[in-house]
Amino acid sequence: MLDYLGLGDDLTEEERMVRDTAREFLDEEIRPDIGEHFVEGTFPIEKIPEMGELGFYGPNLEGYGSLGLGERAYGLLMEELEACDSGMRSMASVQGALVMYPIHAYGNEEQKETWLPKLGSGEAVGCFGLTEPNHGSNPSEMETRAERDGDEYILNGNKTWITNSPIADVAVVWARDVSSEDSPVRGFLVETERDGVSTNEIKEKLSLRASITGGIALSDARIPAENVLPEVSGMKGPLSCLTQARYGIAWGAVGAAKDAFEQAVEYATDREQFGKPIAGFQMQQEKIAEMATRISLAELLAHRLAELKERGDLRPQQVSMAKRNNVRMARRVSRTAREMLGGNGITTDYSPMRHLANIETVYTYEGTHDIHSLVLGEDLTGIAAYK
Amino acid sequence: MKVLVTVKESADIADDFAVDDDGIDETYVEYDLNEWDDYAVETGVQLAEAGIADEVVGVTIGPERADETIRKALAKGVDRAVRVWDDALAGQDLLDVSTKAHLLAAVAEDEDADLVLSGVQASDDSFGATGVALAERLGYEWAAVVSDLDVNADAGEARVNRELEGGLQERLTVDLPAVFTIQTGINEPRYASLRGIRQAQSKEIAPKTPTDIGVET
Repeated sequence: MLDYLGLGDDLTEEERMVRDTAREFLDEEIRPDIGEHFVEGTFPIEKIPEMGELGFYGPNLEGYGSLGLGERAYGLLMEELEACDSGMRSMASVQGALVMYPIHAYGNEEQKETWLPKLGSGEAVGCFGLTEPNHGSNPSEMETRAERDGDEYILNGNKTWITNSPIADVAVVWARDVSSEDSPVRGFLVETERDGVSTNEIKEKLSLRASITGGIALSDARIPAENVLPEVSGMKGPLSCLTQARYGIAWGAVGAAKDAFEQAVEYATDREQFGKPIAGFQMQQEKIAEMATRISLAELLAHRLAELKERGDLRPQQVSMAKRNNVRMARRVSRTAREMLGGNGITTDYSPMRHLANIETVYTYEGTHDIHSLVLGEDLTGIAAYK
Repeated sequence: MKVLVTVKESADIADDFAVDDDGIDETYVEYDLNEWDDYAVETGVQLAEAGIADEVVGVTIGPERADETIRKALAKGVDRAVRVWDDALAGQDLLDVSTKAHLLAAVAEDEDADLVLSGVQASDDSFGATGVALAERLGYEWAAVVSDLDVNADAGEARVNRELEGGLQERLTVDLPAVFTIQTGINEPRYASLRGIRQAQSKEIAPKTPTDIGVET
């Protein structure tokens, strides 16, 4: 794939091997059928354990079966997954950054030992319940309630737009603990087979079709009190998870854009009109130059985030900048790439329109583009526009 | 028992390349683990996983760059590796089969290997002779183009199927120590896992010169 600035040459051998093994697996096992999954609205569920064995879930965490992989290698993994399809990267992001991360960061020893090895290996699938039907950009207004009753909590509420909820074994549900003073937001590990928990699938999506999405309905669902994540209280819990996932998105968007770019360049150099390849026309060259430049800048941003994250200096606002910029970049690049393919570009034979459709979801999930503008606006001016 | 797997860094030419006066510029050449050797590595690692092999050692002949190729074998489960090279070898245009067999035999003797696994051929030079020439030099039994392998270490023998022309298979029992050249399709080579890749970073790749292993070039 495009590496105009030669960033690949500066990778360590381990980083290159992680990138290459992910690419090899995806090329052979996923890519041949991904267009069909997109059309059918299905995810290659049978590959979930194999992806776990390969170490694709939460490899950057330490201990409990995880690998303590470097943040750049983790980013490269996300880039490869999303170069295949945003649904593949979403699977790994949710499992690793939104489910394993909070258990790792905020869980007790027993919760970590029970869940992390199983989630890491893909034996269990997790999902993350934050968004509600009436509360998206402002999740602190959530209505889902947890009420203490002896040794149990009783949960009530509805979560929606939950990647993998219909196939999940466990959900990290964020809810207001109304039995505590000021009703703080707490994280609860909810096994989906419990009474009062149901997960419906949201079908008929026009984007991120090769990914399973659903809701979580909690109706007097009783869970043991020890299922609460003990080490976090307040919105910091879910927001810190989202910072982890957005880091992966900043890298993933680069992958989707590169894949669309590669297809456009290949097509334009093959396709002849007026007696020469269309890539020989100035308007196409301007598009190619613009795409390559935007991709390369976004890639630099991702690499810089890796350095900051590795040494523990990464601020959530910096992740917002990268998520906002890189996803917008991928949206523009995949659209331009589709356009260069003409009519052929609207079929599943080529990836750009699939990426373009997927990126519409990525543009508004994990903090909409506009909300990230406001996060940056507040950070740069000291004035919060949304308060 | 100890298994030695011979691994070659094989060269491939990029889809778009240019020919200059005396060949193809290095920028168009890509190197990767030889496809046939990938199956030999998998065979060796499966023997270790089945408790038949105590140790699986990889050996390659190549420059420092080839560490990346043999590291891939380490990531897939080979325990450690030996890489043979010196300036004299670097100065040769093409390593002939007999030189390669000579060097590999010295390593096999040094390691006291009970079983040597090699790919049937390399995807770049396609000689298909190194494994058999190695067996001859070592004085080991051998079987070429092996498509099925069942090692009985206690009995000191292995039952193998080898591919013949016209879709025929020869089934035979070979006494150990032996050299087998492994055919594609004998197994399904694994992908290097991220765990394997991490572990491979701390596995040994011992650089040796021909002199170190007692070969005068």
